[in-house]
Order: sequence, then C-alpha cells, then structure tokens
Amino acid sequence: MAATFASRCSRVGRSLFGGLSNSSPGLFTKSHEMTCGNYFSQVKQQRTFIQMRTVLKVVDNSGAKQVMCIQALKGKKGARLGDTIVASVKEAHPNGKVKKGKVVYAVVVRAAMQKGRCDGSQVRFDDNAVVLVDKQGQPIGTRVFGSVPHELRKKKHVKILTLAGHIA
Amino acid sequence: MRLEKCWFCSSTVYPGHGIQFVRNDAKIFRFCRSKCHKNFKMKRNPRKVKWTKAYRRVHGKDMTQDSTFEFERKRNRPERYDRNLADNVLKAIPKIDKIRVSREERHHKNRMKENEAKGQREAKKELEQSISLVKAPSALQQDPSLTLPKTIVKVSQQKSEENPLMEE
Repeated sequence: MAATFASRCSRVGRSLFGGLSNSSPGLFTKSHEMTCGNYFSQVKQQRTFIQMRTVLKVVDNSGAKQVMCIQALKGKKGARLGDTIVASVKEAHPNGKVKKGKVVYAVVVRAAMQKGRCDGSQVRFDDNAVVLVDKQGQPIGTRVFGSVPHELRKKKHVKILTLAGHIA
Repeated sequence: MRLEKCWFCSSTVYPGHGIQFVRNDAKIFRFCRSKCHKNFKMKRNPRKVKWTKAYRRVHGKDMTQDSTFEFERKRNRPERYDRNLADNVLKAIPKIDKIRVSREERHHKNRMKENEAKGQREAKKELEQSISLVKAPSALQQDPSLTLPKTIVKVSQQKSEENPLMEE
C-alpha cells in the first residue's frame, strides 16, 4: 500500500511539473489532500483513462516488465480496456526480446477504469496491464498471464485470447 | 442472460445493473449497486454488516437449510432446450416461491415466539415498580383496584421440619 501511495504521489508530482493540461481536476484536489498529511484520503480514488505517462504492467513473456504510455492511439481522453497504445519500455528482464528504452505498441488487457458491456453491466479490474504487440497487432510474447476480458474478441485480438489463461 | 447474486448483500443482480470486479487471481465479484461496491472497497466483511443476507444467515435470523434452496443452486451444465421442461419449470417457480416464503415466515414467527410472554412480564414489572409515576401512593392504598392483586402462596408444613435438618 505504501508503494502504491508513493507511486501515485510521484505520478501526481510529475504531472504537476509536466504541466499536463489534460489531467483531470480530480488529480489536483487529490494532491492537495495528500500534502495535508492525510494518508487515508477521504477523496474517492478516481480511476480514469490510460494516458501519456501512465505506467502499466506487462503480463506476457516478451521481456518487458513495466511500460509507460506515450500515446493512446484512439480516444481523445485516453485509452481504455481493449485499446492499443504506444509505449516506452521502462523496465525489462535482462535477457528478453524487448529491451529497456524501446518504443512498442501494446494492447490494454486490464484496466482499473470500468468499461461498459453490451448487456449494460460494468467491468473493472484491479490494475492496469498490457500485452506487447507488433504493428500488425500480433503479440510479441508467447504467453499471457492473468485474466483478460472478452472485449478483445470484438477488437480482433483473437491471438491474445487464445494465449490467455483465463477470460474474465 | 443470467441473474447473478451480489457478492456483498446476496440480492439478485439483474442485467444492466451493478459492477463486476475482476481481481488479479481471476475471482469475479459482482455487486448489485454502488453501496455494496463501496463497502467491499472498504474491506468490510459482509458477515458482520447487519443488513446483508450473509449476516442474517450466520446469526440465525433467516432460514439456512431448506429443500427449496436446492432448486436455485447454480448448475454449470447447459440443459438442452425441451419445451415441456421449460413450461413445467415456469409453472413451478411461483409455487416454490410461495412455499419458501411461507417457510421463512414460519421461521420468523418461531424466532419471535417468546416476545409476547416477555412483553407481558415486562409490563407487569413496570406496573408494579413505576405505578407511583402515575398515581400517588396514598391513592393506591385507598383504592386497591389500581394495584395487581396479591397472590397468596400456601407453604406446606413439611418443609419447616426439613429445614433444620438441611441446615445441619
């Protein structure tokens, strides 16, 4: 919990210094709450889109461990569950297909922000996770860990679904 | 289409309602409304939250074991569509509901059985102790109908002979 707090705090700090105009006003109010020394903040944690500077977990065996979003390919406000993003590899396994600093495409397979389904219900996952893909949309790795949503079928990422262990 | 049960309060989640939360270990939590979802995020245990069905079952307020619950068990095998079977099921559902409701009412009545006697005893005690709040003691002595009649208990003579023996 301390780690997530620190990462959240640092992310907010970076956004403040970066002067991002499209960051939600909720972030600014949250940072003010945090500077007041309130560890268990009363402000509800707002789960939003995956945008520039969002750090995501990589859940395949392509070699990368953490990836930072550079661009959300579709959507003005950011990427959601099932969308593709352009990302920069921030942390990687020492001997993997992908090295640190490489610019890759990735598909969002788990998003903390809820997504509406066609039957009217909403789904949300615990974290933001991503599977690295090449420009054609084929996954770079050969295994996918964790659960993936079946929204990927509509987005034509069938290969990822076949590799997945569990479909949410 | 499937009618699910809310993980927190055990009410039915109809299509188009609620949020489905997929945890990283692939366990799916369904919530009927944001009240249950927020309580879950607060890490509250439904067995300790008074208004949930889980609490009521654990504390014996509601029926736990009954043959009518067998009909609602989740079956993962899809049944081949049989028109007669479907028709019979649709006819049986209201009957089973009626039986279950009547059994639950019986359970509730059993639980509340002692209340009437308890209420009488408490009323009697209150009348004896606090009648002075309503009527002055001098008035009570003049008009004995306001107090409860004194009951005369006959003590048999044999007991007085046994007592000195018991004291020894």
